[in-house]
Amino acid sequence: MVSAGLALSLWSGEVATAFNGMLVLDGPALFFKFLFVVSAGLVILSSADYVRRFQRFQGEYYALILLSATGMMLMAATRELLSIYVSLELTSISLYVLAGFLKDEKSSEAGLKYLLLGAIASAVLLYGMALVFGITGTTSLAAIAERISALSLSGLAGTPALLMGVILIVAGLGFKIASVPFQMWVPDVYEGAPTPVTAYLSVASKAAGFAVLMRVFFTAFGPPLEIGASWGLLLAVLSLLTMTVGNVAAIAQTNIKRMLGYSSISHAGYLIVGVAAMGLGSAADVWSRSSVLFFLASYTFANLGAFTAIIAISNKTGSDEISDFSGMAKRAPVLTLGMSLCLLSLLGLPPTAGLIAKVYIFNAAVHQGLMWLVVAAVINSVISAFYYMRVVRIMWLGTPSSEEKVPSSGALRAALVISCLGVLLLGILPGVFIRLAEAAVKMFAS
Amino acid sequence: MGVTIAFWLLAIMCIISALAVVLGRNIFRAALLLALLFFSVAGLYIILNADFLAAVQVLIYVGAVAILVLLAIMLTRDVTAGGALNKFRLPALIFSLLLVMALVYSVLSTPWQISPQAPLETTTAALGEKLFGEGGFILPVEVAAVLLLASALGAIVLVKEKDGKWKSG
Amino acid sequence: MPWNWFDRPLPADWPGGYWWHLLVFAVFIVGLTLTMVMIFIYLERRGVARFQIRPGPNRCGPFGIMQPMADAIKVLFKEDIVPDKADGVLHWLAPVVAFFPALLILAVVPFHNGAALVDLDIGILYVIAVSSISTLGVVMAGWSSNNKYSLIAAIRAIAQTVSYELPMVLSIIGVIVLTGSLSLNDIVARQSVPFIFFQPLGFLIFLIGLMAEMNRSPFDLMEAESEIVAGFHTEYSSMKQALFYLAEYAHAFGGAAIISTLFLGGWKGPILPPLVWLLLKTVLVFAIMFWARATLPRVRIDQFMGFLWKGLLPLALINLFFTAAEVLVWPDGLPLALIPINFVAAGFLIVVWSGLIKFGGGRVAVQ
Repeated sequence: MVSAGLALSLWSGEVATAFNGMLVLDGPALFFKFLFVVSAGLVILSSADYVRRFQRFQGEYYALILLSATGMMLMAATRELLSIYVSLELTSISLYVLAGFLKDEKSSEAGLKYLLLGAIASAVLLYGMALVFGITGTTSLAAIAERISALSLSGLAGTPALLMGVILIVAGLGFKIASVPFQMWVPDVYEGAPTPVTAYLSVASKAAGFAVLMRVFFTAFGPPLEIGASWGLLLAVLSLLTMTVGNVAAIAQTNIKRMLGYSSISHAGYLIVGVAAMGLGSAADVWSRSSVLFFLASYTFANLGAFTAIIAISNKTGSDEISDFSGMAKRAPVLTLGMSLCLLSLLGLPPTAGLIAKVYIFNAAVHQGLMWLVVAAVINSVISAFYYMRVVRIMWLGTPSSEEKVPSSGALRAALVISCLGVLLLGILPGVFIRLAEAAVKMFAS
Repeated sequence: MGVTIAFWLLAIMCIISALAVVLGRNIFRAALLLALLFFSVAGLYIILNADFLAAVQVLIYVGAVAILVLLAIMLTRDVTAGGALNKFRLPALIFSLLLVMALVYSVLSTPWQISPQAPLETTTAALGEKLFGEGGFILPVEVAAVLLLASALGAIVLVKEKDGKWKSG
Repeated sequence: MPWNWFDRPLPADWPGGYWWHLLVFAVFIVGLTLTMVMIFIYLERRGVARFQIRPGPNRCGPFGIMQPMADAIKVLFKEDIVPDKADGVLHWLAPVVAFFPALLILAVVPFHNGAALVDLDIGILYVIAVSSISTLGVVMAGWSSNNKYSLIAAIRAIAQTVSYELPMVLSIIGVIVLTGSLSLNDIVARQSVPFIFFQPLGFLIFLIGLMAEMNRSPFDLMEAESEIVAGFHTEYSSMKQALFYLAEYAHAFGGAAIISTLFLGGWKGPILPPLVWLLLKTVLVFAIMFWARATLPRVRIDQFMGFLWKGLLPLALINLFFTAAEVLVWPDGLPLALIPINFVAAGFLIVVWSGLIKFGGGRVAVQ
């Protein structure tokens, strides 16, 4: 039996050896690597309790998490379509297996659904990449940008195949980040997968998708090129749809994992706002990119914290229904406090990181003339208050179904405390981290 | 001239077998037609002077992928009874047609750049150089190795031991 | 080192003209295959009979050499029976698909210096790719017969061929590392010493893999009479049955030709013409095959797979590793002093490894 401790030592070893001279190691790559390491670490901490119930394959569970983390780090650090694709597959295949890890009915359904849709998405992505390669004759992102500008096209209209390629790449990556209309898999997979894996999926997998999205679109089709405006607008529309669908559907959910699944869809929508602003802005515009990074960081901590608490509570109650969280404040005050904090951050209330992140990303969008989108996003945030506050209210004011305390292990509590600290730190002292994020994106090597 | 005829023959064979794979009701025949499709794609590779790729295509897709698909079908009960009918049949058809039209339009109306270089006569050495040589694609190759490890691990986890996952409820 | 005056290379389009070349070689290959199949059948029946201390077929012609002819005529006149619920088209197509790869393999085998139907740059890869198709024929036969024994045979065939391809390819890579070329003619031309001396282990692994791929006893699990009647061709009769029979021996001939080309120096040899040398080596390899058939009992399916994954595959990897190391040390051709070392190392590895592998503790779980 491989213990969590062994896995952790493996994990910390990976931080040191991740610096591989063959890959690009610029600001965003470092930032994302740090993000992936932190989220993989938190997930491993929070799964210590959960995994102990498996009879077999405990070691394989951690190995798959680490393998997918490796794939994500490579995704963030490679600047070449082929490597990006292969690392994305490495990440996805590990995650497919993790989603189906329990092998019961729901988990198998989750794994199969994720596998089938994911396979289609990677095929679509690959098709897009092939079209782009066909036009530019290279797989290196920087060289692609050179070739496209050398083609001296007016927008994307001159070469429909390039437009098609860009659309297909957006579609393929849209699956990873769970944006509309590629979000159908999210609720079922999130519900069926083991809860720590759900947390991992909702955070790290999404961040990896954004890492690739930003790198591909900034380096290859980025702002110096005129096509930036075209896909910027495309993404803006996608983002509007994504957050609206996510928030509206979340209201009706009774299962907390499904609810957080839809909430993660809506957060993908907020994040795309930043990426769209990146397309519309100039290359020197730092805000749009750094705001995405900052938002991802705050989202990571908040979502992981919420899931950690859910793992502990549903381990005890054996249910993921929101109604079973009733009165949890009396049964597990610390867990409830942490979870409420994280939910407030997801909603975007002071003094949490979520508020700063949202303000920051909307600010960047306003600067690029996306006022309409920001208005829509704010309305969406208000809608989201409904379902976040409902959970918080039930937990604090509801009547508990029993007086039994909810136990939680040290590793799990550590994960929750780290997440909450992250949420608070980013919320109270945002300046430091914003400067870090800005420094990171300035180093975007092209 | 001969190449043009061969291309059209193979292309038509590709499309017909692909359509038959999707539209056929007999899943075993569909899998066999899939093998035929892979085979004709290998033929297209040969026309493009990519003979190494063609051989690998036959070896991997016909010799392994199609065969494993057939194995999976043979190990499944009553597969020929299941139909492909469901309520999304018509929307799926419309959507696919739209997609095909968009793709065909974008491919046809794009001014593709054709490399002035003559195709290589022997591709094997050049391919090896590109994959493993200086400034080549060694990184994806290595990542692919890790990917295979992950999928082997995943296959073992998912397939082995179906019962007794939990110690207690 | 030219071994005799026959070694003069033939032009690529011998005997002159593109179409003539294709025509002559196509007719030659088909004719040669059919002839060799008859010779093989005769040799095997007589040979196995000797092993079992009985005379074998000896009534038809002098020493019974007309026996294969008589068999062929007999089988042609039998009634062709197709099961009622069989998938007719597939049932008809299966023997064809099983047979034609055997002919395709021979397209790249050089019968003389430079004399092949086509001397492909990717020759050996082509051979591996094409021979993997023949499994499809077996699978089609197994499925379309609508017979559970045929189905089991088809499933076994898949497990068998897909797995045994691995050590075969790995041992071929050993040869490729030595020659630096995939073309079969180049591989023969560079064998100043037959590669079996540098690759004894590789030869053995390839031979075993070959016997498994063409389901020769002791690996003939897909037509194991004691378990699954006649396997995938249980429901076949008449000409189609004969075609399967033909395919089996044509594969044996093709495989033996490939192994002679890769490891035994192909068409090279003193005094006699190259074609005769190639055929002699082929017959020798086939003799080893039916020797094994007459001597060894059939393996069980779990032993069969365990033998591959625990025995052959690691050995093939070790073999490849050592070959690559040898080539790295002596890039300009291996010294002859390595030959005894190679044989000792191969023997040592086989002895040690056969001690290491266990087949499910000798038990089979039956549920």
